[in-house]
Amino acid sequence: MKKSILLPLSVLVAVYFLWDGAVLLSKSDIFPRPSQVFFAIVELIQRGLLLKYVVASLFRVSVGFVLAVLIGVPLGLLLGWFRSAFLAFNPLIQILRPISPIAWIPIAILWFKVDDRAPIFLIFLSSLFPITVTAIAAVQNIQPVYVRAAQNFGVTRIDLFKRVIFPACLPQIITSLRISLGIAWLVVVAAEMIAVNSGLGYLIIDARNAGKRYDLVVAGMLMIGLIGLLLDLLVRSLERFEEVKWGYSERS
Amino acid sequence: MSSGKAVGLTVGFWLVAISLLHATLNLGLFAPHKPAVAAPFRVGFIPVTCHLTCPVTDFINKQLTGGSEFEPVRFQGWPELKEAFISGYLPATFILAPLAIRLREDGVPIKIVYLGHRDGTAMVVNRESQIYRIEDLLGKTVAVPNRFSNQKLLVVKALKEHGVPLDQVKIVEMAPPDMPAALFSKAVDAITSGEPFMGQAELDGYGRVLYQAKDVWPGFISCVLAVREDAIREHRDIVQRLVDGIAKSGKWLDQTMDHRMEAAEFVSQYYYNQNPSLLRFVLSKPPDRVKYTNLALHKNDFLEIEALAKDTGVLKGKVTFEDYTDTSFVPLDSSIQPYAWDYKTTK
Repeated sequence: MKKSILLPLSVLVAVYFLWDGAVLLSKSDIFPRPSQVFFAIVELIQRGLLLKYVVASLFRVSVGFVLAVLIGVPLGLLLGWFRSAFLAFNPLIQILRPISPIAWIPIAILWFKVDDRAPIFLIFLSSLFPITVTAIAAVQNIQPVYVRAAQNFGVTRIDLFKRVIFPACLPQIITSLRISLGIAWLVVVAAEMIAVNSGLGYLIIDARNAGKRYDLVVAGMLMIGLIGLLLDLLVRSLERFEEVKWGYSERS
Repeated sequence: MSSGKAVGLTVGFWLVAISLLHATLNLGLFAPHKPAVAAPFRVGFIPVTCHLTCPVTDFINKQLTGGSEFEPVRFQGWPELKEAFISGYLPATFILAPLAIRLREDGVPIKIVYLGHRDGTAMVVNRESQIYRIEDLLGKTVAVPNRFSNQKLLVVKALKEHGVPLDQVKIVEMAPPDMPAALFSKAVDAITSGEPFMGQAELDGYGRVLYQAKDVWPGFISCVLAVREDAIREHRDIVQRLVDGIAKSGKWLDQTMDHRMEAAEFVSQYYYNQNPSLLRFVLSKPPDRVKYTNLALHKNDFLEIEALAKDTGVLKGKVTFEDYTDTSFVPLDSSIQPYAWDYKTTK
């Protein structure tokens, strides 16, 4: 078998037995064994809940994240290019950026009540700042020779943005998309603590309410991890496009 | 096609697909039989037995009339419920009594219109611990659900009556669902909250009841039904039907043990998502662990809550019983008849 499969597989098997052994040794009545978690996932599938919850979480993350990209990327490019706009807005962004989306939960409920909009807002916030800040930095760090060369050809401002600045920034932006999608998925659990009644985060919180269902808690954690992995692989595939490779090779 | 367009199309397609799936699976937008209820009256609750009359009223209403003008909205914790109430999303909610009074003190236009239950709280310690009397709590850590909870005041009352100085007991706030595990792992020495979380620790074998609410504070009130003043003005009739429904459900629940076991069945399945055996346990062992009759608002009950709350700094004492209650909805106890409904007819 290939090393790239064999090595991670053996780690996973080791973790499985360590986990199971630890639960058995400690005689814990509360912490679930891996097999119990597996049956919890089966139970979720049988009750039709797994698909529903995965869809709900993916919906909120998709909408919140796409909104953050649509606003964050243009905003970052503009602030990176126009010096005075950057000076004006950067302090505000730097103040808002370190605030955890969890801290926004009370405000989100007051503004958006408790339907899907509140978690979407939280996910949007969590992705917006990393994307914006990276886009700003990407524009500011463009090698001046690109811009001057383009200007020598007499391109219009719009063309300069479209053909030089945007492509040159794309590799960094895509990296930031990867990171911020990861953060968005991370926030979904906290965002679903608000009284929505679906989603993987809700599953975990609901399982706590249900008494001793820590098997469902760990099942929810596991699903979040697996889907997070898939999302990351998906965004990574963006890096294969020709347009992006241009940026990498030229900038190396 | 350029790859930019391809990515755009894929993202667009994904957004449409996931939105449609979400709308179908979770929002029920394409469900064929959408009941045409004109803006149902939302009532907030948390899956604890203190709020049991909320789902019971809703369920029996639906069974008797085929629909309900109320929409019970389940919350997972007090802060979120409180925020939804303040923001006006919830016109009415079950809420901790001192928390409701505190909101009134802070200028939130709400009134307490009825009680939700009596008793239904216990203090549980680890079975192996050496805590056998309230005096043994000296130097220990006790978890309470919220600083504005009556469970906290109950602890204070118990300690006072047994001569334990308050500053010698550490009181921490913890979400009730986390309490059994915290007790199991001995992160805290004692836990107290509404049921079924205390029953959980008992049922699983590592918890031992130190006291039931009724032993310390007979007729203990943890939660009340509070309504926003605008809802009282605009929907007097609906609020009255809600109070009447709760009164009837309460009588129904306390009528026979069979009714309680039936309630444990449908509430755990449709509203609380808890193990039915857990609800069966806390509703029957002992039968007066929690009670759902005698729900009228009595000034003396609230004066006692106020006094303890002021002592511990939970309330400022700015509002009076007359400010924070509206007793006009309270039905005459002798006139309340239990719901005439048979569980076996459930559709």
